[in-house]
Amino acid sequence: MINKSDEEELKSLRKRIFITGYKGGMAHLASCFSCLEMLYALYIKGILKIDPTDPKQKDRDRFILSKGHGGLALYAVLERAGLIEKDMLDSYLKENSLIGGEPCMRDCEWVEATTGSLGHGLSMGLGIAMALKLDKSPAYVYVMLGDGELEEGTVWEAVMAAHSFGLDNLIAILDCNKIQKMDSVANTIREPHWVEKFESFGWAVYETSGHDIDAFTKCVHRVKENASGPSLIIADTVKGKGVSVMENNPNWHFKLPGKRDLKVFMEELGITEEELA
Amino acid sequence: MNSAYIGKLMELAERDERVIHLLADSGTGYDEMFRRNFPDRIYNFGIAEENMVAAAAGMAAAGKIPFVFTAGAFLAYRSMEFIRDDVCFQNLNVKIVGMGSGLSWSSLGPTHHTTEDIAVLRSIPNLMILSPATPKQVAECVEKAYEHNGPVYIRIGMNHEREFYDGDTAETTEPDVLFDGKDAVIYVTGSILEEVYECCEKLKSQGIGVKLVNVTTLKPFDERFFLKDAASFDTVITVEEHNIHGGLAGILAEIAVFNKAGVKIVPIGIEDSFAAGYGDIKGVRKANGLDADSIYEKIRKAIGR
Repeated sequence: MINKSDEEELKSLRKRIFITGYKGGMAHLASCFSCLEMLYALYIKGILKIDPTDPKQKDRDRFILSKGHGGLALYAVLERAGLIEKDMLDSYLKENSLIGGEPCMRDCEWVEATTGSLGHGLSMGLGIAMALKLDKSPAYVYVMLGDGELEEGTVWEAVMAAHSFGLDNLIAILDCNKIQKMDSVANTIREPHWVEKFESFGWAVYETSGHDIDAFTKCVHRVKENASGPSLIIADTVKGKGVSVMENNPNWHFKLPGKRDLKVFMEELGITEEELA
Repeated sequence: MNSAYIGKLMELAERDERVIHLLADSGTGYDEMFRRNFPDRIYNFGIAEENMVAAAAGMAAAGKIPFVFTAGAFLAYRSMEFIRDDVCFQNLNVKIVGMGSGLSWSSLGPTHHTTEDIAVLRSIPNLMILSPATPKQVAECVEKAYEHNGPVYIRIGMNHEREFYDGDTAETTEPDVLFDGKDAVIYVTGSILEEVYECCEKLKSQGIGVKLVNVTTLKPFDERFFLKDAASFDTVITVEEHNIHGGLAGILAEIAVFNKAGVKIVPIGIEDSFAAGYGDIKGVRKANGLDADSIYEKIRKAIGR
């Protein structure tokens, strides 16, 4: 369930992401739109325990966007949460830009791990979770992965280690949109059976919608109440969610609309000619 | 060398609770000593080096000082992208310790030889590279790595290296002159020092005076030290248990050319090949022209005497 004001906020965020990407000249729009509701729930609806005045507060929850190509969505949500300045997002891919297409610690103090090359984020999250345990911190580490990303071997090294080290403060979120760059995930590696795979590696697995903020939030709470080791939330999502021509279409992994499709984007996201100028 | 490493690491762990010892199924009896003393600060990641390196980056981001330890080949080659993206790009305080530098894993062949690690890793920004030659130097390098707030790679041999330094500490992480002479200068790094030292003794007994410089800190390199030698000698000989491309010879060649120092550099090392032979370290060095006798011949040829 999504209430009306959240729905409007999300549409406005999609619009912000699209216009920023369009003006920058390139973006992974479909990937951004598939994980947007979850980023919104994490940063704006209060799942993440963070102090907006101190990005380095010791016991803050950490969020890592391991599928770094959703970076523009992360930056847009950070802006909406009041954590980064408008100028920073506006500079995206422009001359002297402050941010690029992947989240980068060098560029932004709210980014907990630089990502872009897939299969790194869960391992870094694992290390942070281990350090937090040593410090007896109550904080959680959330790592969002793409389902295509799970083809990277190191993800499974981290999956094994997290179980072995009993990290009940590590929560992986799978943005399960079922599409990778060239094709569907199932066409690439056959039916992936993520639930069985993760359960057999000793993880607790939960399934929810990645677009229903209430359901997702409740799921996170359930995970935290029950965690006795690492947990995975498989969030069912639609790649390109929110723009009809882009939804569930692998062609949209990394491109901007041409003339004809642009009309659809503008109409469905409520964008005017002036806003794109 | 392993014992010197763990001994120093335990000293640091005692001093600073942020120090953590990470293994990838790569432990030895020495590590069990560490486990006994610091049971909650040693982790075995299993045979998963890339995950270990990235997790170390995460730990460092959360304020710890992780030392990752396994075969240098599995770090420098297999985990290279993780060293680059997660550790060095973020300039995180991770210490990467590769055991078995050069031909140390002599019985296992080129998959285990660490003869391109300097070339691979020195192109990565922010990474300090240390190459100790003796057990005392290992301890000194570990201390230096700990004191440096940033990424460090230490390559360590593992063949009961001979000690050339006296005293409690070997203040030798800077280029260090072990022999003095005017006929030629030899630069050496790492465990191969023991072979080169033998050559220098022999040359000396025959009235040939060579200067021998043992280099431990490969990056950042003390350029001024080398440029003085480049100005004083016609020939600089380098000896390394590494490909002659991209390692010590490569470093000196770059410095010489960038600074217009007209000096001839004669590289002695693995000649852009995968090392031949199996067996003990003496035999494999010999098979690749890197035993004391072969190096001696090459040096004589280089200085024309």
